[in-house]
Amino acid sequence: MSDSNKPSNRRKFLTNVTQIMGGIGGIFALIPFLSTMSPSEKAKSAGAPVEIDVSSLQPGSFKVVEWRGKPVWVVRRTAEMIENTLEDNDVLSDPKSTGEHQPEYTKNKYRSINPEFLVLLGVCTHLGCSPLYKPNAKSAELGLDWKGGFFCPCHGSKFDLSGRVHKAMPAPYNLEVPPYYFASSSRIIVGEDGKDV
Amino acid sequence: MSKFISWIDERLPVSNFVKNHLSQYYAPKNFNIFYYFGALAIFIFILQIVTGIFLTINYKPDAAQAFASVEYIMRDVEWGWLVRYLHSTGASFFFIVIYLHMFRAMLYGSYKNPRELLWLFGMVIFVLLMAEAFMGYLLPWGQMSYWGAQVIISLFGAIPYVGESLALWIRGDYVISDATLNRFFAFHVIALPLLLFALIYLHLAALHTTGSNNPDGIEIKNNKDENGIPKDGIPFHPYYTVKDIFGLSVFLIIFMFVVFFIPELGGYFLEKDNFVPADPLKTPEHIVPVWYFTPFYAILRAIPDKLGGVLAMGAAIFVLFILPWLDRCSVKSFRYRSTTYKTLLALFVISFIGLGYIGMNPVTPVLTWLGRLFTFIYFGFFVALYITSANEKTKDIPDRVTMHD
Amino acid sequence: MKKLKISLTGSPCMIKQLFFFIVIISSNLLFAADGTTLKPVLIDLNNKASLQRGAQIYINNCFGCHTLKYQRYVKFVDHLSLPKETIENNLIFTTDKNGEKTKIGSLMLNAVHPTSSKEAFGVMPPDLTLIARSRGPEWLYTFLISFYKDESRPYGVNNTLYPNVNMPHVLWWMEGVKQPINNEKTDFEYVINGSMSDKEYKKSITDLVNFLTYVSEPAQLDRYRIGFWVILFLLLFSFIAFLLKSEYWKDVK
Repeated sequence: MSDSNKPSNRRKFLTNVTQIMGGIGGIFALIPFLSTMSPSEKAKSAGAPVEIDVSSLQPGSFKVVEWRGKPVWVVRRTAEMIENTLEDNDVLSDPKSTGEHQPEYTKNKYRSINPEFLVLLGVCTHLGCSPLYKPNAKSAELGLDWKGGFFCPCHGSKFDLSGRVHKAMPAPYNLEVPPYYFASSSRIIVGEDGKDV
Repeated sequence: MSKFISWIDERLPVSNFVKNHLSQYYAPKNFNIFYYFGALAIFIFILQIVTGIFLTINYKPDAAQAFASVEYIMRDVEWGWLVRYLHSTGASFFFIVIYLHMFRAMLYGSYKNPRELLWLFGMVIFVLLMAEAFMGYLLPWGQMSYWGAQVIISLFGAIPYVGESLALWIRGDYVISDATLNRFFAFHVIALPLLLFALIYLHLAALHTTGSNNPDGIEIKNNKDENGIPKDGIPFHPYYTVKDIFGLSVFLIIFMFVVFFIPELGGYFLEKDNFVPADPLKTPEHIVPVWYFTPFYAILRAIPDKLGGVLAMGAAIFVLFILPWLDRCSVKSFRYRSTTYKTLLALFVISFIGLGYIGMNPVTPVLTWLGRLFTFIYFGFFVALYITSANEKTKDIPDRVTMHD
Repeated sequence: MKKLKISLTGSPCMIKQLFFFIVIISSNLLFAADGTTLKPVLIDLNNKASLQRGAQIYINNCFGCHTLKYQRYVKFVDHLSLPKETIENNLIFTTDKNGEKTKIGSLMLNAVHPTSSKEAFGVMPPDLTLIARSRGPEWLYTFLISFYKDESRPYGVNNTLYPNVNMPHVLWWMEGVKQPINNEKTDFEYVINGSMSDKEYKKSITDLVNFLTYVSEPAQLDRYRIGFWVILFLLLFSFIAFLLKSEYWKDVK
């Protein structure tokens, strides 16, 4: 027995190699266990991209579809609405959409690929309520300077017709734009970036 | 670091614990291959707990969903198949390891004075483990799960007067049903693992009180040096920790080979009929329990009477509990015991394996006859042991342990 | 390693148990439960072309009655190397409950109403996702080549492996219809020719069984590959652990 002797170099070396290999093996063994907790094929399938047919959507009207359990809005903007979107930069908190709340290809003043169609995640960025669609300007409820947009009934956050949040609102940033692309001029696929991106 | 350790030690005697149970716990130096299985059993117990937790995350204990949820784990959950195969293969390997561990105790007389209580705790663990495995086997809700449970629970019906009501109470329904599945799930994942944990703790506490036996069956504590250290003892750490690491790695090669390449093991670890969802109206052609129950199942079938069969099966397990008092020979290891004992033990092993084989196969006249013969030998072993061990002619036991390499 | 070898031979009973295992495993091959001899079939899950052909045969001929309710179409992208578009255009012909085309991530259910097929066949045609695990590939292969003409049966055919099976010979247009020429039903002659030769038909059935074997356990595609690396790592680790153990055990005299 080697109680008083110092352990030999070979002994130290082998102990280290065993520990390192055991550690590596242990880490690899963790992967399968932790992976079982990530979304399963079933969850991914339920969260798969959804297709929206916008051919029957009238200008000015609004459609809600469900994607990953959340409401996705599609608004077909009228020429007037597109114009209103342009004007009110001074009341907006982040008019240029500098935050990372939309895909790169919608980082423009209309926050959309085609200005005619607005696609938004209908979840208030404050505490997750779903805002209401208030397209008409000068409403009694929202004041005479209201240019149309979205209004969250829970805590009163106001968003313009591109989903940009007004200044000094409970909601911290603009409504999110989900990834989407046009499969054809009237079919929008929500939940996936287009091929050319 | 040492400051931190002393801070802990003032509040919790960690260093003392490590000293008493690892670095200054002296184990005999002559352990052979049979002495790996205790440590391996603990490893599998932990593996079953961990894999079990991750399976419960996706499993649904509901008769309408259970079968599909297992397939969901096998296909749609990332790496779910591996966790499931680790658990199912682990169950079978648990029994392989435990049977070898028990056989070791019989070879070297580890159940004898002063280790009777250690043996009794071990036997309770064995019985709990059988209950744990039996209830776990219902959960995949396949044909074998269902009909296996049906047959075993019906055994309780053989008990006079209260049997039928007892079976009804266990099932919670007139047949095996959703109610049964739910309670078995509760027992399998909570009640029995907690009990097992407690019993394993007691088993180890008893072991560390008496110290380990060894292949020569000599008490190393009777031969100490001037410092009070057994002359044939070596500190568990590092000598047996490094040895058990090696043993575990060899075990894992075999275990992982089964998990990755033959997880069904030709229908012995995962039965073919269990890939058909449970159907209460259609019995499979031939119901077989999983291999680890088949020796006892064969004893049940050997007796041509329902109550008699159940009693015989119960007795086959009970008789193991009283083994320390049936074996009256003071010599522990078979190495120094009579040829009579060695012959008896060999016959016992043959009968146990033979019963296991018979229990897996359909009833034929030859196998029924063989089953009775082996049942007779199984019980005969204990009777003959009680008679012959009182005045057994034993060999001289050496003073010190012997090394065989 | 000498040490290990000696202690192994020193425990004859363990070797006996191992031997016992080998015997019971090997006795399990190539016999159906009732002792009928099954024909061997070569399963090769790495043969993607065979799996793809098998999938196509299944969808076109079997899927109308037999669901694969635990399998998702989308798995064919990785497992069968099929592009999404090919799956959507050539394999998905059903609609979901809203009348829209079934999504690629869906489970493989079919459009047949359970009660109507029960009326038609007397029994519910079983789901076949796990059939290759419960019956075995050899059984499936033998079953599918064992249909013969028998006018006494409702569909005019019977099966030597599964007598009086309640299933028409769906693939008769491929195989043709054969009639026994002896009482033991071991030799047959074709009374109607199918679109394929005997050899071609058996190859198609092999593809179909290969596909069903894959569907019964898709994890097979991963586990052999991963298992190889796991075992390799453990062999290396055991070697190091053995050196470490030997190094320490030098002390023990």
